Amino acid sequence: PFCPNGASCRVSLRELFDRAIIVSHYIHSLSSEMFQEFDAQYSQGPGFFTQAISMCHTASISTPAGKEQAQQIHQKDFVILVIHLLRSWTEPLNHLITETSRLPKDPHALRAKAVEIQQQNQRLLEGLDKIGKLVDPEITDNGDYAVWLGLPALQSNDVESLLFAFHNMFRCLRRDTHKVDNYLKFLKCQIAYDGSC
Amino acid sequence: ASPPGKPVIVKCRSPEKETFTCWWKPGSNGGLPTNYTLTYYKEGENIIYECPDYTTGGPNSCFFSRKYTTIWTIYVMRVNATNKMGNTASDVRFVDVTYIVEPNAPQNVTLEIKKSQDREAYLWIKWLAPTLVDTRSGWLILQYEIRLKPEKATEWETHYAGHQTNFKILNLSPGQKYFVQVRCKPDHGFWSQWSQEKSIKIPGDANMNV
Repeated sequence: PFCPNGASCRVSLRELFDRAIIVSHYIHSLSSEMFQEFDAQYSQGPGFFTQAISMCHTASISTPAGKEQAQQIHQKDFVILVIHLLRSWTEPLNHLITETSRLPKDPHALRAKAVEIQQQNQRLLEGLDKIGKLVDPEITDNGDYAVWLGLPALQSNDVESLLFAFHNMFRCLRRDTHKVDNYLKFLKCQIAYDGSC
Repeated sequence: ASPPGKPVIVKCRSPEKETFTCWWKPGSNGGLPTNYTLTYYKEGENIIYECPDYTTGGPNSCFFSRKYTTIWTIYVMRVNATNKMGNTASDVRFVDVTYIVEPNAPQNVTLEIKKSQDREAYLWIKWLAPTLVDTRSGWLILQYEIRLKPEKATEWETHYAGHQTNFKILNLSPGQKYFVQVRCKPDHGFWSQWSQEKSIKIPGDANMNV
């Protein structure tokens, strides 16, 4: 747990950010490995999966796509945005873990990584909750997150459609975990180091 | 005379996760003056754009400044070669700036022999982040690696320096000349080239043993 000594956790914002970044960096590295392993194991030739590229379910969450945009966002709103991104993967990860059993060949390694990512995501959410309260005690998080409607695709009986669905999920997970990791490293410098690491 | 050969997009790279450049290799020009254009569209859009800057990145390149660079977005791009006899397009290339970050080499590497409080000498190396890279805002986090070797050696000795921009090396041989280089890597991305080789000779009377 982020604060091993229980509720009254007296940890500095810097320390909380450092811990959160260790987890977010780890989650993205796992997601990258999972994406590359899936590609290596199931791709049927160069460019096979380029046809699978479709919109990520989190595209509805407006996120900064460059440093200048990131610098325009109010810090409190930015923390909430990161929480929304993370929370948007709670349900999809649950189904991803369950549905990997449908994949041909042996998806054991992929499933193990998905389980690890799910656990670390929950841990990171816990930490971000604490960070949010330290950044702004009156922070109000309306529990928002991007709805995921991808379950039918993960249960497709057509192997190619199934592979495309999984590929797009792994691609989007890699992308969003990179965003979270990138944003937390940026926010740490902006908030905990007054904009200058 | 014949239509141009097929160009190939060979590399795309971002030095600081804020801009990026793509390079292509022309095919044969069919014996005629041949013109090249790079066109692209972005994930989730239908608008076809043309390369905003064919100059900054050098020959056969397209440079995307901050204004044209969006991270976490797939650019679907193609190069078209055209001459009087016809035109030929390259294969499509999918590029997401997120995954092509390769910084320039660290700069201003300086070497110095220093003495610790207990009079032991050591090699003190310091450097600066590559040019154009903003490591202060936290948008790009760099980690560093140093390598050094005695003048006549073939094998380098490598040291990981983490995020710091200085490093202390002990236990070097008095009277020996050493070569040193530094390189860097973003938290998620590719190692830069090694910096220019710098050298230093350890004074013959230096007490380097700890």
